[in-house]
Amino acid sequence: MQALEKLLDRIIQRVNINLRELGFDVTPYVRELIPRMQMFKFYAFYGITPHHPLNFQFTHSNLAGSYFLGKCRVTNSLLYKSDIRGDELKKKGTVFQFQEFEIPITRDEQIDIEDSFLIKTLVHNYSHDPETLEKFFIKDTISMHYANIHGSPSDGCFLGPFSTVDMTTMHDCVIGAFSYIQAGEISHKKIDPGTVWVRSPDNFNFLYRYEYNRLNKYINFTAGNRPKGLLFDFVEDHKKEFERVFALVNIETPRSVPGSASLDRYAVIKPHTKISENVLVAQRAYLQNAWLGKGANAQENCYIINSRLEGYDITAHGGKIVEADLGKKVFVGFNSFLRGRPDARLTIGKDSIVMPHTIIDISNPLTIPPDHIIWGLVTNKHDLETNSMPINDFSKIETKFSLGNMIFEGNGASFVSAFRHRIDHILEANGAFFNGAENKGHAQKNQSISFNTIQPYPMGELKGLYPSIIIQP
Amino acid sequence: MNTFIVKDLMVPLSEYATVQEGSTLFEAVLALEKAQEEFDYEHTPYHHRAVLILNKDKRVIGKLSQLGVLRAILPKNERTQHIEDISRFGFSTSFINSLREKYRLEEGILDDIYKKATRMKVEDYMQTPSEGEYVDEMTSLDTAMYQLVIGTHLSLIVTRGDEIVGLLRMSDVFAAVFHAMKSGELTE
Repeated sequence: MQALEKLLDRIIQRVNINLRELGFDVTPYVRELIPRMQMFKFYAFYGITPHHPLNFQFTHSNLAGSYFLGKCRVTNSLLYKSDIRGDELKKKGTVFQFQEFEIPITRDEQIDIEDSFLIKTLVHNYSHDPETLEKFFIKDTISMHYANIHGSPSDGCFLGPFSTVDMTTMHDCVIGAFSYIQAGEISHKKIDPGTVWVRSPDNFNFLYRYEYNRLNKYINFTAGNRPKGLLFDFVEDHKKEFERVFALVNIETPRSVPGSASLDRYAVIKPHTKISENVLVAQRAYLQNAWLGKGANAQENCYIINSRLEGYDITAHGGKIVEADLGKKVFVGFNSFLRGRPDARLTIGKDSIVMPHTIIDISNPLTIPPDHIIWGLVTNKHDLETNSMPINDFSKIETKFSLGNMIFEGNGASFVSAFRHRIDHILEANGAFFNGAENKGHAQKNQSISFNTIQPYPMGELKGLYPSIIIQP
Repeated sequence: MNTFIVKDLMVPLSEYATVQEGSTLFEAVLALEKAQEEFDYEHTPYHHRAVLILNKDKRVIGKLSQLGVLRAILPKNERTQHIEDISRFGFSTSFINSLREKYRLEEGILDDIYKKATRMKVEDYMQTPSEGEYVDEMTSLDTAMYQLVIGTHLSLIVTRGDEIVGLLRMSDVFAAVFHAMKSGELTE
């Protein structure tokens, strides 16, 4: 137990040193956030598949309830119920294209977590930083509940709850709760809660900022307190169901799941759920009375309840869809919260893009026409007028545009094209286009996976720490 | 050039614009205007560009530059703060200026400028000199030049022991360098 305390002190000190210029002290945010009992109560587990390199190295760390896949190294860190999903890491012998450079990858990429504390955080994708192609590092970093570190090497950072950093290298930054950042590289920045920032230098720059008083209802995180708000309550309300799937050693796959679909054994599947061909349901996803058409997917920490997704729909990490009907190929970005009511359903037309970290929370029926882009906070038709527009119109922006709290500079067509390209890439990577022989993706490859569990020292000075372990073929 | 020392080029404190702690921004601007009118321009063509703030013991506690005055009178409210925040997110200068222009048309930027200046206290806007902004009056001009360039200062406060005796302005140092260049050109 003493070792665990010392480790936490060490991590806090290292992060604070990095953030001293911003005058940000992480201590009151994290010191007592996770009861120590919880940190040795849960086992950690790792996946073994023929498709991913088997190489895990765990040293002087606590890994309570965390999941590992691919090539990972964890040193002097605390990982609480986090997913370290290395199934999209770069492979030795491939070539990474960056601007006009074609850079050969000389060894399998590794997720390298050191001196960090990740709480219920998802780490996924691969390093997009051309300066560190074979090492996706997370160093001297603390991330809070349901944060996503997606293809984003991080050094000396603090990520608030429900924040996402996507394809962006970060140095010495504070990312506020429910903020989404995709900006290539950032350093020494303090980002306010509820900031949605997507920037590609010389191409486009999108910025939306939630009004604090409206965001507080959904997420509110202050020093010395656990995260509060509707988003946090929603997830906590469904926690019990996950405890059951994690407690069982063997769990049966429902017979109705087609052979080309993948349903993770650590997902919660409630009655009246339909899984079609090429569907991917990741661990920690929650489906209840959900109809998932061909090629649709539900990634980690997704909730799809009383809803119908026609097919090829993407629900990115942390997306929540309740009482809604989505047409074909609707993209729902990271951590978005879409909530209709039984008597007030939400309908989103085909080929629409729901920007990451969008909240649609309605009490009267709302229909969003096909081919629309939606962002920010929408609670009624009036909000929709200033938080959405036809994608075709967005593509016509040539220099600058603003609507409601959103400002945009650059080329709209380039912005839309980047999203469309990414949506196709995600569908392809997830195996949505599998034809029985070709275009295999996660949905097909993740079927042949087995899990092993590991446990910490149960008592004594090292209580809570996992022994140093190297797992290789 | 290399025979000059700081005191050869400094402006004595008595000739510089000064105000007491507690003065308003408007009083500081008046003091600057007065000092400019009374200054002997025989040896240098350059105007004063700052006001020194003195405490009750006549010691210099800060410096208020022209830039500092302009910064002080710009409106600071939620909307202007919002525009400043946006500039941190990589938007172009022309984009940020378009937001400021919109604000100017809707709310005006420099209205009530006199009223504002009579309410503001100089100590709230002055710059407290850092350790690198003091130079002894016997220091060679060459060395003082390094101090100006490396610290990117527009002037240095000149000391004699514990006493502050004047100000070494970048404009005067530049004039001396320029003069030396021209002398060199004539002798070659």
